[in-house]
Amino acid sequence: MDQDHPFFDDIPAYTLGALDLEEARSLEAHLQTCELCRKELTASQAASQNLLLGVTPRQPPPGLRRQIISKLPGNRKTWRVGFSWLSGQALLILLALALVALNFISLIQIHNLQQQQAGLLQKYQSGQAALALLSSPGTRNIPISSGEVSGSFLLDQNRNAAMIIIWNLPRLAENQTYQAWLIDSQGKRTSAAVFQPEAGQAFTATQISSSLALSNFKGLGVTVEPSGGSSQPTGQRIFKIDF
Amino acid sequence: MYNNFMSALDDGELIVKVSKGDEAAFISLYDRYKAQVFGLALRMLGDLMQAEEATQDTFLKIWSRAHLFSADRGSFLVWALTIARRTALDRLRLEARRPAISNFDDPDEQWNSLPDAGSNSDENRWRSLALVVQGLPADQRLVIELAYYQGFSQSEIAELLGWPLGTVKTRLRAAMSRLRQAWQA
Repeated sequence: MDQDHPFFDDIPAYTLGALDLEEARSLEAHLQTCELCRKELTASQAASQNLLLGVTPRQPPPGLRRQIISKLPGNRKTWRVGFSWLSGQALLILLALALVALNFISLIQIHNLQQQQAGLLQKYQSGQAALALLSSPGTRNIPISSGEVSGSFLLDQNRNAAMIIIWNLPRLAENQTYQAWLIDSQGKRTSAAVFQPEAGQAFTATQISSSLALSNFKGLGVTVEPSGGSSQPTGQRIFKIDF
Repeated sequence: MYNNFMSALDDGELIVKVSKGDEAAFISLYDRYKAQVFGLALRMLGDLMQAEEATQDTFLKIWSRAHLFSADRGSFLVWALTIARRTALDRLRLEARRPAISNFDDPDEQWNSLPDAGSNSDENRWRSLALVVQGLPADQRLVIELAYYQGFSQSEIAELLGWPLGTVKTRLRAAMSRLRQAWQA
């Protein structure tokens, strides 16, 4: 090393990558202006290249070849990106459909439960009304008897409350209903209830209601009417009582 | 048929095709030089799994940087091995992990793996290069090993071995001088 080539001795270490950063920068700056050092660098680099070439070759595992090929960008795009995009979209659509189906099923279940609840409440209220009427001293019990059908008409005119309890009333077709009529002294019929017998229950209890006082009426009849009821009796009479 | 055609091409022709996205050319280069790249990675990392990953990284870099290769600046093999060395050094530095030093200095270990002389020209070439390295005095071989294959700087080697920095520099220069003389002869 001399004053003109202060980094000459560092060149072998530089080609091996063994100089510290500061030393390497200084040498690189010097190489820009020194042809002798550049020639030395070229010769030294040839030696370091031989260090690369002198390493014992080893056979890699056979699977590595396939693994590398599968990771080439073109292959990765075709398989991985395509697959993940499609599967992601399909998964989202399936998830959305499943949520919609789940919501729909939940709504049906809630609706059924509400219907069951309303039916149970109606039964409870009818039972309570029947008990209240039976325990009232002013209640008259007028028997009902017509063919297979029998029962009671409970009437408390002081409280303007009445109900019919009928046994063995046959179930009707879906498009039919029973309708109760209050009959005044002129024979005029006023609708007082529309009802269906409960499945699996031997008797049917139905409250009779009217905007007029029950004292205005002299009789009660039940007919079969189209579903939803009629404004006047049109169908088969089941029974008629006077009170 | 196409693969046979590829095997007839030289490295320069193949790398030009690789730069245009030719997978068959890339596979030909892999088949030609996988053992050299894997051998260097294994020598530097000392672990089969790590060497396999470094080899994969190296060839994927070759694929993506093929357009940067210039035959005027050296052979394809030297270029590929330079990428492999840097890839392995990155792994060593990232994990601050170094293989056991005792393996570097054992000539028998490498000697046992040498194939028969004269089996083919490539094997002869690296065998003669390896013999020159093995012929270095042990202390010079050690600094070459630590500097070139393990990425230690001269000051790190001095600290690691407990030698004065000047001694490390002297031994490294002497080693390189002997290698140059031997390979020029």
